[in-house]
Amino acid sequence: MRAAMLTLAVLAAATPRLSAQASPGQEGTFLIRGATIWTGTGQTLQNANVVVRDGLIEAVGPDATAPGAVEIDARGKFVYPGLIDSYTPLGLSEIGGISTMNLRSELGEFNPHMRAVVAINVDSDMMAITRANGITSVITAPSGGVISGQAALIGTAGWTWEDMAVERTAAFVINYPREPSFGFGFGGGANPAAQRAARERVETQIRELKTVLTTARAYDRQRTAGAEEVDLMYEALRPLMQGRVPALVSADTEQQIRAVVELGREYGIRVIINGGDEAWKVRELLAQNDVPVVLGSIQSNPPADAPYDAIFAQPGVLHEAGVKFAFSTGGSANARHVPYHAALAVGYGLPKDAALRALTIWPAEMFGAADRIGTIEPGKLANLFIATGDPLDIRSQVTEVFIKGRRVPMDDRHTRLYQKYNGRPAGN
Amino acid sequence: MRTVRASGALLALLIAAPAAAQDVAIRNATVLTIANGTLENATVLVRDGKIAAVGTDVSIPAGVQVIDGTGRYVMPGIIDAHSHMAIEGGINEGSESVTPEVMVPVRDDDQTIYRALAGGVTSALLLHGSANTIGGQGAVIKMRWGQPADSLYFDGAHRIVKFALGENVTRASSSAPDSLRRFPKSRMGVEQTLRWWFAQAQEYDREWEDYRQRARRDRNALPPRRDLRLEALADIMRGDIKVHAHSYRGDEILMLMRVAEDFGFRINTFQHVLEGYKVAEEMAKHGAMASTFAENWGYKVEAQDAIPHNMAIMTDRGVVVSVNSDSGERVRRLYQEAAIGMKYGGMSEVEALSMITLNPARQLGVDHLVGTVEVGKQADLAIFSAHPFAPETHVEMTLVDGKVLFDRSQAMTLRKLIESQRAITTTTEDDR
Repeated sequence: MRAAMLTLAVLAAATPRLSAQASPGQEGTFLIRGATIWTGTGQTLQNANVVVRDGLIEAVGPDATAPGAVEIDARGKFVYPGLIDSYTPLGLSEIGGISTMNLRSELGEFNPHMRAVVAINVDSDMMAITRANGITSVITAPSGGVISGQAALIGTAGWTWEDMAVERTAAFVINYPREPSFGFGFGGGANPAAQRAARERVETQIRELKTVLTTARAYDRQRTAGAEEVDLMYEALRPLMQGRVPALVSADTEQQIRAVVELGREYGIRVIINGGDEAWKVRELLAQNDVPVVLGSIQSNPPADAPYDAIFAQPGVLHEAGVKFAFSTGGSANARHVPYHAALAVGYGLPKDAALRALTIWPAEMFGAADRIGTIEPGKLANLFIATGDPLDIRSQVTEVFIKGRRVPMDDRHTRLYQKYNGRPAGN
Repeated sequence: MRTVRASGALLALLIAAPAAAQDVAIRNATVLTIANGTLENATVLVRDGKIAAVGTDVSIPAGVQVIDGTGRYVMPGIIDAHSHMAIEGGINEGSESVTPEVMVPVRDDDQTIYRALAGGVTSALLLHGSANTIGGQGAVIKMRWGQPADSLYFDGAHRIVKFALGENVTRASSSAPDSLRRFPKSRMGVEQTLRWWFAQAQEYDREWEDYRQRARRDRNALPPRRDLRLEALADIMRGDIKVHAHSYRGDEILMLMRVAEDFGFRINTFQHVLEGYKVAEEMAKHGAMASTFAENWGYKVEAQDAIPHNMAIMTDRGVVVSVNSDSGERVRRLYQEAAIGMKYGGMSEVEALSMITLNPARQLGVDHLVGTVEVGKQADLAIFSAHPFAPETHVEMTLVDGKVLFDRSQAMTLRKLIESQRAITTTTEDDR
């Protein structure tokens, strides 16, 4: 194994693009040849090519060609649209244990004007590690309060946050007020007065949320009618009230999910359920109302009273009921492994093709970017990757990643440490 | 809580039959033996809770229950070398930094045991938390779900004590006012804490040795005062209790090995050991094993240099590596964690599978009993619907001591729950 590793290291060292370590990637025209291409449009092309030019996919197919392009031999390999982690603090949050590296939430309960996009650390170690496994876009989200702010849909490589942004405002992050869990029994739990106080606080927050939305609707109408006075908070909410940008609303229990669907209906806003542990209980309601779900991490335990496989099996059940969903890790360090969250769902009944869509085109649709990302089609951003096999299979290797048409360097903090210590001479 | 526990145990006694071993044969399966390669279309015969035969030409005696293994994969039951399941209440004796005399109290009513079984897990090492330089003694259990706590202990396993280094130990009392803070609060202090206590234990051991000498001549010789803490430390130095040390950074891993060597003992296994790859040579030489995370990194400063290639580098340098859960969630999918070893650093399939079977068995001192599919070993087995590393896989059955303790076809699943609700709804509508 050691010999094989050394060979790999030597090969890697000989590749010129490693010299551009910190760059978001090599620019140019690329011809990826001879691959099996899962396009995301219902087709799997055999022995086909992809042409990448000026940041976009120019052509796809067995005859696609580009004279003078940098050629990449992908015979025996597989090409997929770049994967998407649909809920993470990537770029906003680095080392979990250090508060100054986790400036994700603002003071106060209602912050719809806070924009994640302006606070993305482009050189985050976690960003480079994420994209190396074919995750080319993420929904990076603020947290805290009732309305946390605006989540951004970003590419995982770029020179600046402006360069990375696909949708600066992809969704308004709302935390549907919920009672803290008190636990129960001996030693746990809270006294009845504290529980009552918590319940009252939740009711107050729900009333306040509704007041904010009612005011936002009135504000939007007045502004549309020509009112000139600007309020930062309510101005920010106009795309939500106009139905141009969805709200990503956290809700896990059946009761919370029903309340969020109702909230959407009541205020005419587009809602996406965030979390959705019990979405299977209301799958008909979600399907009928065309409400999609960003599933909370599949690497979670189900509620105590649910079947042991509830979280693993739910995506398959939702799929059969016609509910659209996307996968998310909720974290930064292992956003790279979002395809293995999907794999757990496949192990418990979700078809592979649906799992891949939930990692690509479905979130692109949910967040209004299906015209730019999510499939391998001419005219879309060249966000794609080459792998040695099924990307849901942990054993597959990602060998090349393209983001906005740039061929991304495949080294990161982990590979650098690996190369250093794997190369430590014996006996030293 | 007490009442709940007692009735839980009572209920278990009423429902579950006594742990009588069964005779069972898994036929026509792909068997990942770990010890002797992969066998296709093979049969595993279990008699009296032990593996009686493995191979392609095994005849199944009459009267033996047969499980059809067609299209399925059989592997040794998964072993989790770092778990906090089935432990009652708080898991740190945080009053002092050296408390090797305490032991984890095992409970039988934690549903994590069932969920672990549903992920193919058959054994686990239950450990204290990491607040103490020298914590308490852990317990190795089998997932005998439905049996009372006393029956969960894995006979023949090591006695194990947990040590801890680094951030968790040094910040254990960080919320207290300075005057009440507990020593040590630095990695330097951790080393000296270890040296001071082991010196005490050496002294204690000598006093007892003196007494034993004197007692041979003088029937009225008075024994030294018994000290359970120093006695446990002396047992550690003698190797009667094996050390599993929570650790992150290369420097502290190296430090602990040198302290142990100075006092004449060895560190059995480093837990977490996220920078083990930086001192893998030294670990191999010392004889320390490693039980690590597959992918966890970046959640605190001492986890900043954690890399998923850790498993591969340590294995490559001759360290026995396991991958553990340390979590009631991850324990359900340790097979995914092991597969990560193949992705980063290019471990072979058998090396990766060994990290959740034979290698943790070695770390817990039970490799002569479990960890491979071999004749004579206890029949702790997991049956998967596909290769355990394939994305479409799930656990179909888990056997402990030859008994089927998890069977997906009998378990309540989400789809079965939905079916039953449909049935109820239909009936109700018919009644109208």
